[in-house]
Amino acid sequence: MNHWQLNMSKFIIWTLLFAVLIFSPFTGAVSLHVEDIFNQNHLSSTIFFDLRVPRVLFAFFAGIILSLSGLLFQTLFRNALMTPYTLGISSGAVLGAGIAIKLGLGSLLFGIAAISVFGFLGAMLTVFLLIYLSQFLRNSQQESLLLLGIALSLFYTSCLMIIFYLGDTMQNDMLIRFTMGSLSVIGWQNPIALGVIAFLLLITIYMYRFELQLLSISDESASLKGVNTKKITLLLLMVSSFGIGTLVSISGPIGFVGLIVPHIVSKIYPSTLNRRIIKTALFGGLFLVLCDTITRGLQTQSELPIGIVTALIGGPFFIYLIISRSKR
Amino acid sequence: MIELKSLTCRYDDKPILQDVNIKIMDHLSILGANGSGKSTLAKAICNLIDFEGEIEIESKNIKELSLLDKAKNISYIPAKLEVYDIYITVEEFVLLGRFPYKKSFFEYSIKDKKIVERTLEFLKIAHLRDHTVSSLSSGEQQLTLIAQALTQQSKIIIFDEPTANLDPHNSKIIAEHIKGLKDYHQIILITHDLNLASYIKSPVVFIKEAKAKLYEDGFFNNSTLEELYGVKFESLAVKYE
Repeated sequence: MNHWQLNMSKFIIWTLLFAVLIFSPFTGAVSLHVEDIFNQNHLSSTIFFDLRVPRVLFAFFAGIILSLSGLLFQTLFRNALMTPYTLGISSGAVLGAGIAIKLGLGSLLFGIAAISVFGFLGAMLTVFLLIYLSQFLRNSQQESLLLLGIALSLFYTSCLMIIFYLGDTMQNDMLIRFTMGSLSVIGWQNPIALGVIAFLLLITIYMYRFELQLLSISDESASLKGVNTKKITLLLLMVSSFGIGTLVSISGPIGFVGLIVPHIVSKIYPSTLNRRIIKTALFGGLFLVLCDTITRGLQTQSELPIGIVTALIGGPFFIYLIISRSKR
Repeated sequence: MIELKSLTCRYDDKPILQDVNIKIMDHLSILGANGSGKSTLAKAICNLIDFEGEIEIESKNIKELSLLDKAKNISYIPAKLEVYDIYITVEEFVLLGRFPYKKSFFEYSIKDKKIVERTLEFLKIAHLRDHTVSSLSSGEQQLTLIAQALTQQSKIIIFDEPTANLDPHNSKIIAEHIKGLKDYHQIILITHDLNLASYIKSPVVFIKEAKAKLYEDGFFNNSTLEELYGVKFESLAVKYE
């Protein structure tokens, strides 16, 4: 592709994605007309402003958090396969939520749904466990960390199986729904909370972009240039895990977005890491809105959960990444 | 000046360096067999690994220097350039050498960029400015690493096996640059390349069985080398001069 064609295709990609963002609230089981939306007494208005728009925004912010966390984990651990999802952090959240459901903690805990609190704790505990365990690995053994994450995921899944085994039908149904990942939210509380966290994550990563550039070479070289590697790594991991923990505790696991988006953006913009941060965030947000719009556009009996869609795309993509890496 | 006072380094409880006492006034070459502890010594001087004893840089304890002050005093050039960010360009990579002087959270200044430009021209790699470092040859990568270290403007530069991956032609280019830098920096050279070390003509520390011995001169004669390496030497093969 020559320069002109490349710019043209970038323009088309972004235009299409933004178009999806604008039209997304109009798609779904009930079709809406523009004139009804602004009629406050009409049901369409409620559907549009209390369900569809919050949901699109929620998807947008979720996409930002997932893709930025993916980019961050990949850079810090210098491995394209490292994401909160592949490292078992999402699974930790699912197990936490599972425990809350099993214990029958359907109600609120400190004003927040107990499932969310437990999901969040599960994610954070997994991060601490990974950080603790990684001390026993030598610097060069990044692959071992990935294996640790996979081992944790498998362990969590077994624990979840026990909960399934012991659970009654209603609890199990709730749990299965949760593990599939869903972006349906009601009202503005969740999108606003997630928006604040997404913004915080973006600002933090952008502020430390040069430290991150050095860390992407090696901890040693960053330290030799004066970066407090332990402090910065911990800070960035904590902020990102806070975002992932909050997100997964509301929506359930949405896999592979953090794996796919940074990779696609680096193909469209083959430039150094810190020129890709904002583009990755924006692309990630729009990408998840696109995926969500597709699930709502499919006229199935009930809506297809978003986690299943991203996993269906992501699974083969993961295999592709592994094979293309070993070719190099 | 670097002073090592009863320096001991261990790896899984096994001593790699034991009770090393050396005063490095100026340039120094560190030689020794594979696994003898040459890189360990360099990493200890950079405070990258745990050690017992004391290391002083310009009469200041290295452990008391802040990370940024340390970076302004010492730069370290690894044997090989490895990047995860395969799209980083030579210019962007060399700019990282200016990190210790950069204001937190802000971009690199115009002055930083000028220093990088001058350094690239000095090392004759200015034409590679916009190439990605992952696409360079080993010789060009070594020059890029040297450029990054030079923009760091530190008194001390540690070279860790700079010619290990290079052919004789590129080794010569690097050797000439190192020799030229002796006028402006304190050069610590870790190497297996006896030709390089004899060309650089610094005092030699030879590490054997966790002990370090200093040779002010008289290191590069066949009988000394035979005794230390345990193989027969005729004469050194490549002449850099």
